[in-house]
Amino acid sequence: MQRKSTPLTFGLIVIVGLLTVCPVVMLILGSFSQGLGSFGTFTLDKYIQSYTDPAFAEIIVNTIIFTLGSAVVATLLALFLAYLNTRTNIPFKFLFRIISIIPMMIPHILFAVSWLLLLNPSNGLINLFLKDVFNLSSSPFNIYTLPGMILVEGLLDLPIAYLILAPALASFDVSMEESSKVCGASNLRTLFMVTLPILRPAILASITLVIVRSLASFAVPSVIGMPGRIYVLATHIYRIIATGFATDYGMAAAVGMSALASSTILIYLYRYLTAEGDKYVTISSRGYRPAVIDLKKAKYPFFVIVAVLSFILIVLPVLVLLYTSMVPYSMVPSARAFSMMSLRNWTEVLGDPISILSVKNSMFLGIVGATLGVILSIFVCYAIVKVRTAASGILESLSFLSFSFPGIVIGVGFMWLFVRTPLYATIWALLIGYIATYLPYGIRPLTSAFVQIHAHLEESSKVCGAGTLYTLRRIIIPLLIPGIVSAWILMATMFVRELTLSVVLSRPGTEVLAVQVLRFAEDGLWGRLSALGIIMILISTTLVIIASLTGAKFTKIQTVGGDEPH
Amino acid sequence: MDIHISKLSKSYFSEGRRIEALFDVNLAIPANEIFTLLGPSGCGKTTLLRSIVGLEIPDEGEIRIGDEIVFSKDKGILVPPEKRGLSMVFQSYAIWPHMNVFDNVAYPLQTQKKPKEEIRDRVKKTLHFVQLGGFENRPATKLSGGQQQRVALARALVAEPKVILFDEPLSNLDAKLREETRKELREFLTKLRITAVYVTHDRIEALSLSDTVAVMKDGRIVEIGTPKKIYFDSDRSFVADFIGRANLVEGSISRVGINHTIVDTSLGPIVCRKKKDVSPGDAVVVCIRPEFIHVKEKAGGEGPNLFSGRIDSLIFVGDAYEGEIRVGDTELIVRVEPTLDVKQGDTVALSFDPNHCSILLK
Ligand SMILES: Nc1ncnc2c1ncn2[C@@H]1O[C@H](COP(=O)(O)OP(=O)(O)O)[C@@H](O)[C@H]1O
Ligand SMILES: [Mg+2]
Repeated sequence: MQRKSTPLTFGLIVIVGLLTVCPVVMLILGSFSQGLGSFGTFTLDKYIQSYTDPAFAEIIVNTIIFTLGSAVVATLLALFLAYLNTRTNIPFKFLFRIISIIPMMIPHILFAVSWLLLLNPSNGLINLFLKDVFNLSSSPFNIYTLPGMILVEGLLDLPIAYLILAPALASFDVSMEESSKVCGASNLRTLFMVTLPILRPAILASITLVIVRSLASFAVPSVIGMPGRIYVLATHIYRIIATGFATDYGMAAAVGMSALASSTILIYLYRYLTAEGDKYVTISSRGYRPAVIDLKKAKYPFFVIVAVLSFILIVLPVLVLLYTSMVPYSMVPSARAFSMMSLRNWTEVLGDPISILSVKNSMFLGIVGATLGVILSIFVCYAIVKVRTAASGILESLSFLSFSFPGIVIGVGFMWLFVRTPLYATIWALLIGYIATYLPYGIRPLTSAFVQIHAHLEESSKVCGAGTLYTLRRIIIPLLIPGIVSAWILMATMFVRELTLSVVLSRPGTEVLAVQVLRFAEDGLWGRLSALGIIMILISTTLVIIASLTGAKFTKIQTVGGDEPH
Repeated sequence: MDIHISKLSKSYFSEGRRIEALFDVNLAIPANEIFTLLGPSGCGKTTLLRSIVGLEIPDEGEIRIGDEIVFSKDKGILVPPEKRGLSMVFQSYAIWPHMNVFDNVAYPLQTQKKPKEEIRDRVKKTLHFVQLGGFENRPATKLSGGQQQRVALARALVAEPKVILFDEPLSNLDAKLREETRKELREFLTKLRITAVYVTHDRIEALSLSDTVAVMKDGRIVEIGTPKKIYFDSDRSFVADFIGRANLVEGSISRVGINHTIVDTSLGPIVCRKKKDVSPGDAVVVCIRPEFIHVKEKAGGEGPNLFSGRIDSLIFVGDAYEGEIRVGDTELIVRVEPTLDVKQGDTVALSFDPNHCSILLK
């Protein structure tokens, strides 16, 4: 049985290798070339040119401050929330689940824009409001700064940090804290002397992962950083290839190499930290509950903080966009503003051929791309989990490789690749790039689905007299459906909102939603941007609902969780 | 239906090493009996069971179920599991989590394309039999461990298979439930008069459930017999030791008498039950179970096998004391009645009936 499937594993290694390694190789080769036209001629010019640029030092400093700052903001907030959720008796705990999942549904570029609409110095709604109320001559807040960028990116990366920290806190062996209290330490002292040090690996892992994410982030640096002339690596690369006089893909590749290298190192660090983490954080096998700290009277103030955070993360962006899409120009909500509301921005967007094209393209990429991506993921996961030859290990590392690649850098690599093929400037170039970059999003849920199908479930079907096909139809596929649905939802929503790869690969005719939103932002067309943004959110949500309903039709009981032998 | 296994061998390769999971196994499993494979973990029980059911392909040998050869290396026969008409209860139960109880149990009948009416009746009857009547619509994930075990049993019984195989079906239950379920299982299986092959590493399960026990070690069958024979009259020191607490004293045959055999040991000569096929000078092991050693406060009395020793330790375990008594250089474990008034350090008298001293080959 093992030997039969080796060609499958081998074939998959070739496909996944082409998808993930090819752009990296092309990026490296490209960084040593003069330009897209003269590929293969060896030169160090681009490295010298880009790394000796006096402005480059400032970009590096900005990048470090931006990524570290976002990591600290996201991790501190996540730690606070995770602690409240797992260890205290704060009411309405379902909110925490919402906070950890829903923000992923709102495209990052729209989140960034909504904050810009609130806090920009010329007509940000909060600024206008405060100026009105306190009769200020200048705006109190300016989002076009590093702290502004850090705040927004930190909020965006909060869910990732939370998803790392909450399980660590939940599986924490409380007896370690209890013994501290027995020794006479107070709650607060125990928190700082015992709890936090033991959680250190998880905290470091969260910081590392958020650094990787914010290093790859393009939405916040482009929407908030660029107007304030604050450049980080991602926007620097974008500036080299997308704006100005001469686009230079050689230089973009040379700059991209440093982002790629840092990101890869950080991911290794993250892997190391999470492997170490298992040693520290003792996960108890018994189903015990961690001791809950009674917040007493502080319960409600803490709850208000959480409620405000959820409002800021989930409701506010959508409200701001909805409001902006209806008013002719930025103004504080007032009777006058409401009387001036119209659907003008909406009719303009719906009449704009490029916007309509971007809707069509993004929907095509979302539906077709996610479907193809999930099919590939199913085969890869089957080879990794069920076939399990030595080669499956290679396949597994290959398929998670793209997780550590910043999108814009990999986009430049793909550019070097696609220019040489008829795929250049077609929608298929985007489709291939998307699948390659977001493969881990399909593989993660499907791997756990495959792992849950214990070999005994298959074997017992055979012993009951069922042939291979019957077993596939009645046992394997129904058990896989929940995994397939979540993989499809993850991929489709990522594809509908994809920005970082697309800004590099999208050409006239292959515009996509997020790129079109960015164009509106660059032109300051906030009303149309908001209308298109709402359309974007509606498309994602519709796809999610359709996928969930389809999945539910196939399996009545969604929870897969057979009793595994110990 | 009886099962005949001859010359069955199977080895695995893992991490460059070859593991002989089964080695030249010969076995005749009689029809309509509960036959148990007992052995320590890793001795090849599961591999043997999976070979019978067809989930594992042996390297060598032949398996015959009733009149049908289901596997033969020499004749090139390999019947796939779904065509063997057996059923099996897995260690993990392998209840399908996306189906309810009814669908889980109905599955074997559905694969046989039986009419709907018949399926409904038979599932109902079987669920009733395993005392899960009315559980039809319960999702499989909403069952307790004991209930899952019964669903697995119902699924195995519903198609009235020729043979039913169990792979440590009780090992995932907690101690109390395990004991209750063991009794029930015994009841179910005796009622059905079905051929059952039962795998376990738990000696109490093996002794209490089986008509015949086969003890395995390192991929081989060491000994086959009724539970009583295995417990009281085993031939092998490994078996005697594995099946229960035992004092194993090494020695050599000194004299073979008419009714008894005398063995020279470090305790002195021990009069044992007669053993055939041994001659003076043979190295053997004498097995004396702790419950057959009589402890008295004072020396005296008459008969064979009288010793005296000092109590090294005495631990109260509820219904009795568990003691260690040193006789010469040999430590013997004994069961001391709680009524006996002795304490650690006392010198006591020991005696054991020659009929409860058996001679084992090493
Ligand atoms: N798929 C396998 N690959 C490699 N070794 C195996 C495999 N299955 C079983 N073994 C080995 O074969 C031996 C017998 O295993 P098994 O039949 O499961 O023992 P038991 O059920 O008696 O505990 C063990 O040493 C085990 O490690
Ligand atoms: Mg086993």
